[in-house]
Formats: sequence, C-alpha cells, structure tokens
Amino acid sequence: MAFSSALVLTDLNDYIAPSQACIKPVEIQKTADPGHQSEIKVDDQGGYYEITQDGGESKLEKAAISLNDCLACSGCVTSAESVLISMQSQEELYGIIKANQLALEQNTPDKYRTIVVSLSPQSRASLAAHYNLSPLQIHKRLTYFFKQLGCHHLVDISFARDLSLVESAREFVERYKSATAATGGSDPIVTNSATPVAGGGTTAASRRRGGAGGLKAKSQEHLPMLASSCPGWVCYAEKTHGEVLPHISNTKSPQQMMGTLVKDYLATKVNTRPNLIYHVAIMPCYDKKLEASRPDFFMQEFDTREVDCVLTTGEVQKMFGEQNVDFNQLLEAPLDTIFTKALLNPSETLYGSAGSSSGGQMEYIMATAARELFGIQLPSDPSQSDQVVVRIGRNADVREYSLETVDGQVLLKFATAYGFRNIQNIVRKIKTNKCQYHYVEVMACPGGCANGGGQLAPPPVETVNAKDWVNHVENIYRSVDGVLPEQNEAIVAIYNEWIGDPSTERSRQLLRTQYHAVTQNLVNPLATKW
Amino acid sequence: MPHLELLATLEGHQDRVWQASWHPTKTLLATCSGDKTVRLWAPATPTDFTKWVCVDTLKGAHKRTIRSVAWSPSGNEIATASFDATTGIWERDPQIADWECMATLEGHENEIKSVAWSSSGALLATCSRDKSVWIWEVESDNDFECLSVLQEHSQDVKMVAWHPKEEILASASYDDTIKIWKEDEDDWYCADTLHGHASTVWSLDFNAAGDKIVSASDDKTLKIWKQDGGKDGSWTCETTLEGYHDRCIYSVSWSKIHGLMASASGDNTIQIISKDGEAGYRSVAVMQDAHGVHDINGVAWFPTQTHQDWLASVGDDGLVRIWRMVE
Repeated sequence: MAFSSALVLTDLNDYIAPSQACIKPVEIQKTADPGHQSEIKVDDQGGYYEITQDGGESKLEKAAISLNDCLACSGCVTSAESVLISMQSQEELYGIIKANQLALEQNTPDKYRTIVVSLSPQSRASLAAHYNLSPLQIHKRLTYFFKQLGCHHLVDISFARDLSLVESAREFVERYKSATAATGGSDPIVTNSATPVAGGGTTAASRRRGGAGGLKAKSQEHLPMLASSCPGWVCYAEKTHGEVLPHISNTKSPQQMMGTLVKDYLATKVNTRPNLIYHVAIMPCYDKKLEASRPDFFMQEFDTREVDCVLTTGEVQKMFGEQNVDFNQLLEAPLDTIFTKALLNPSETLYGSAGSSSGGQMEYIMATAARELFGIQLPSDPSQSDQVVVRIGRNADVREYSLETVDGQVLLKFATAYGFRNIQNIVRKIKTNKCQYHYVEVMACPGGCANGGGQLAPPPVETVNAKDWVNHVENIYRSVDGVLPEQNEAIVAIYNEWIGDPSTERSRQLLRTQYHAVTQNLVNPLATKW
Repeated sequence: MPHLELLATLEGHQDRVWQASWHPTKTLLATCSGDKTVRLWAPATPTDFTKWVCVDTLKGAHKRTIRSVAWSPSGNEIATASFDATTGIWERDPQIADWECMATLEGHENEIKSVAWSSSGALLATCSRDKSVWIWEVESDNDFECLSVLQEHSQDVKMVAWHPKEEILASASYDDTIKIWKEDEDDWYCADTLHGHASTVWSLDFNAAGDKIVSASDDKTLKIWKQDGGKDGSWTCETTLEGYHDRCIYSVSWSKIHGLMASASGDNTIQIISKDGEAGYRSVAVMQDAHGVHDINGVAWFPTQTHQDWLASVGDDGLVRIWRMVE
C-alpha cells in the first residue's frame, strides 16, 4: 500500500499535532464483539475498507457532519462550514420550483408545495442602498421577481417581528417581577451588584470567592435578560459561555416566528399540511441558516422545518444574474395581502419598528416595561423622552438607555452590545455579578444587522468609506416608519385568534424555544498534560 | 574579554521554566513554569548575589502551564498567561502576606502564549494559538474591559510586546510575520505587517527609543527592523543577523539601559550582541550550554541601572540562571 503523496501534514503547531478540534464528536457505530480486531485498507481512490477476520471487506462510511451540528465555532477541521452553508442555497429553491412544475404536469397535487418567501427589512435596506431605490420599490420588485419565478407569497419579516417583540416584552416583565419578588421587592440588579459578596468582608479570600458566582442570588438567573434573535450570539454562547444561557430570552426570533406563522397558522388557514409549504427566508447573514436548521425548529410530526431555506441578501442578488434579470428594469407587483406590515389602501406604505436595524428589541421592551411596571408612558423610541438618559459607551456599538426618576433613581437600565469585543465585556460582567443592566440587546455584528455578513458589499473603498456605507444602509432601514405591534390590526387579530392566551402550554410551544450548552466530552488525546 | 559570568542558579520549579520577568524597580524576579506556578526570587542578602531564595509562589489559579508572566509597570500586579486559555491578574495582599489572583480574563479559545503591559500600565495585551491578539483596558476595581479582538494573523501568535513609550503593540507569529497595532478612534487596527523571516517569529523586543525592533525566529536569524520616515512610517528590515545561532532562536531581549541584545536558542547558547559602528552588529560574548543540553526558553535583561549587567535565563531543565555581563 503506497503512502499517498497527497497526504500532507498541515496546520501544524508546536505542541498540538492535529488541527483545531471540531467541537462535535463524531459518533462511530462500534460492533459489540469484544474480541473484534479489524484491519483498515485504503484503496487507490481513497476509499476506506474494514477487513474482518474472515477476509471480507466492508466499505466504511465517511464521517459526516451536517448543518445541524455546525455551530460556526471556527474549529472546523475541513472548513466544511462553507460547504454546509451552501446546502441551503438558491439551488434548493430552484429544485422546489421545478418539482412544483412537474407536479402540475403530472397532476400530483400532494407533491405541490406552496412557496412562501419572507423578506427581512435589513436585506431590503441593503438592496435599496445598492440599487438606489426606496424600500417600497425593492419590496414590490422582489414580490414581482419571486412570484414570476414560481413562488406564491412574498411576506414581510417585520410582521412576524411584532409577535417576537410582544412576546419578548412579556417575558421581560415576567422575569423582572419574579426577580423582584425574590429580592423582597427591591430592584434585583441594583441589589445584587451592590453586594457581590455575602457575609461581609474585604478579606482577600471572600473577595476572590465573591466573584465566582457561588453566592449568586436566584433572582440573578433571570436578569439581565439578553436578546435571542441573533444566532451568531446564541451559537457562541452555547459553545463557550453555557452559564449565560439562562439569561438569554426564550422568545423565538422574528425569522422563527414567521416560520411558526407560516407552518402552523397559515397551514391551518389554507387547510394544508405544514410539509406542503416551503418557507424561504431572506436574511442579512449566514448564521440565520444555522438557526433555521436547529433541531428545536424541526416539526417532528410533519417532518418539516419551520424555515426550510435561508438565503442571504447576496445570494438573492446572485439569483437576479442567474435568472437574467436586470433588477433596475424590473416591474413591480402589489404588496402581498398576508403577513405584510403595511398600509395597503389608499396607497401602499411599509411600516417597521422603532430602533436600530437589529430589530428594536431594546426600545420596545423598555417602553412596554416602563408602562407595565412603573406606569410610565414612553414614546416608541424611548430616547425621545426626557426621563430616559442616553449614554454612548466606549464605542458606538454600546448604547445605554437609562429610565430615571426626577431625583436620579434608576428604574430601568438597558443597553445594546454589538460585536465580539462588547459581547466579551457583557459576558464577563454577568459572570462576575457586575452587570448593571436589566436587558442587553446582544448582537454578533458590529454595526448591527445592517452590517450582517450576508449583506451586499459596499461600493469600492475609493468611493465610499465602509463605516459610512453601513450608516447609509441603517438610515434607509430607519426611513421606514415604526408602528407599534398594538397598532397593527392584522397582528392583533392573528394574535387573538391564533395565540389567545399566551400563558398556555400551546402558546409557549409556538412562541418560545430553548438552548443547549455544548459540552466537550471528547478530549484530544494529544492535547493533554501541559 | 567580555563574557557572561554565572551568578546564581535558582532551583525550585518542578517543570520547564518558560519566561522570566524582572520587577520594574526592585531586585525581584518572577518566573513561570509548566508546573503551573509563578515563583518570585530575591537575593538572600542585599550584598551577596550568589544566593537567592524563592520568596513567594503564586499558585492555584491556573489549570495548565503558565507560559508567560509580566509585572505591571507599577510593580503592584503580576499578569500570568496560561495554556488553560485564561490570564490571571495577581495582587499582593499585605494583610495576609500572600499573592491573590484578583481577576481572571477569559475569552481566548485556547493556549495563551504571551501577556504584556503597556508602558503606562493602562493596557494589557494577550495573544494565543487561536491566532488572535486581545487588548484589554485596566479599570479600577480589578476589572478589565476588552477593547479589541484582533484576528489578522493567520497562525498561532507567539508573543506580544508594547512600545516603550507609546500605545503601540507589536506581535510575532507562527505565520512568519510581525504585526504592528495602533488605535484609531474607537478601535485597534493593524498598521503594518513586517515580512522577511522565513519561519516562525518567536520573540521580539523594542529598543530604548522605540524606533527599532529586534525579532528572533525559527529561521535561526535575528532581524533588526526600523521605521522609515518618523512615527507613522512603515517598518523595514535594516539588518539580518545570521550565523549567531545554529538552531531556532526562542527569545531575545534588548536592554533599554545599555543597548546590548541577548538571544537564546535551541542550540543551547546565549549570545550577547552589540552595535558595531554605524549600522553593524557583532557578538561580544557567548555562553555555550547555558542550561546544559536543554533548550533555553527565555532571557531578560535587568530593567534599571542598578543591575544593568544582569541577565536572567530560563530553560527546559527547570532552572533559572542569573548571569552577569562582565566587560
């Protein structure tokens, strides 16, 4: 057996021989036979065969890692992440459309799927910036484009986002109330950070132990509450900071809310099975593909995912080329009548939410909490109120909103933290019981979702500064007026009809999710000892 | 004939010793080891420098090798960088006469290779096998805030060193390059990349003025880099020092007092290199088998005039040696 000349030792490091370990242990089927000894043979094509004692050969399965396993932890041995991510691509959508055509020709209605495409407002803003059109024009052209292609609906993620905002705010108020009850009525955050150590003392030993969390009050497991809509952040927390998972909101992200709307509510409404609906979401980043493929979002009884395929803004732009469409010349179709946050008559107007391109959780939750907990009416953009003090942290991705009484007492303190370095600081503060916030809108991308990894590239550096471009996309995003969920009649109607009582088990299943810390139990045998 | 004279050999570490760091003002040496501790050494008496004692041991905070140790410029804190992916910040509590780990900085994905304090003590830098360089700001109440996570090296980053005066950082990597990092508005960026070494750059140090850098590499050479055209200029290689070592050079230290450089190699020698004329350099002293047959992992010159002729070396033999440069 010749040693393959293609086998090269790469990525060697001085102490660790294999490449960085993949977090996901690969499961191998082992035979129960105790005395079993096997020989492995490699043939010329690189196929691996196990030779049993009686001389028989059986081809060995290649170990496979699916998108479900991928946590985007950048520990990939084979950089397979890029391969996995291409499994959710426009090719998949073309395949479904073709299958539909076939089903029509062969008159097999049970193979025909209703295709719903959800458009995120951030992707819309990125396209608007690139093609120099308004969000409304983009939305109408995309409606035309996708319907022409064979899709049935183009809906607006902003619509589903309202559900996510309402549920997040409800969850926050729940947590705040239970945390306050645990501390006997006083502010759980202020109480706990003032006394990080129990049993008095500035002795070195207690100082050291106090920060470790062993004496953490129960209430602190509820607050601060952290945003859950960024899968980059969620995957990172699951992989590296399992201890903060209880702090992450259990409310589904707007993408997954739309998934539930489409596969549960819509399926019921049009009397079809969830697996006969194909749901595509257009998103500003690749991590949303990982979110869509989470096992928690797989509907077991119908063998289908809530979101079947996520396309990034960039992938959608590629589709224009693939379909030989000149987007600049494209016709416009009227806005879809379902799941679109807009005014349709007399003229079409799109609506959004107050806040940054990351979704406006901070603004909405603060306004709702102020009203429900303290009876204070804040505008939908709390920074407009005199009672809210706005502070920019050490960089533009950290913004603090502090709701204060006239004599300076802090009632609610919220913040945004976008980008890896700012996430580090929030996580560290939470771990050492020093976090002063009740809620943090955590996002993985500096600049928020307007600057997502899947957004369209800015024009060349000579013409426009990258930061300015992101601000430009952000401004286009914000040009769509915010309307409160409560003022959105369609959402209120659907909520009452479909959810009814949000505290029921069924509602929780529809609106909430859970997280799983990754435990590394496979230790790299060569990496131990030092 | 100039030569290195062995003053003392310090025994105590139970595993290979990785780095030595002198206290900024006192006659006190910190060394870190694979035995997961840091030992502090001082002369037993103020006059006899051939007998040293281990005055303190910092232990219990790290689960794996401590790869790098650094005193803060004030001399009040010690930073330890460990293979367990955390950085410990220690302070001495006079009430219990012991060192306590006051803060643990987490975030790196795997082994941290080096830690360094900026000249003012306001910033801390760490680098790791995860290819990143992290910059932290020292806050009051033993808190450290992450200012930036710099991921531009394509391989393991072996060492970080700050400019002697400015807040400018240099990093050395397995990707054969050195990168210079500066701050701009609210974030740090790579201001320059120094190419030239043919293999891993293990160590680097600035000269007293901060306008030159010496780097030590696996390619058996040292390179002297200088900045063209003032403070914002780019760095170029002024000289390559070849033939001084037969094997990988692991550590280099440039004295800020007398300007001599000390380099330590896998060929078991320590070289003392001096300027020779305008732009030349030459070896003025060599110590063969400084740690016997064992690799020498680090060398460090005494930082002040008090004992400017002292050099500390640490090796795989678990020993710390104090040398004196005799002219």
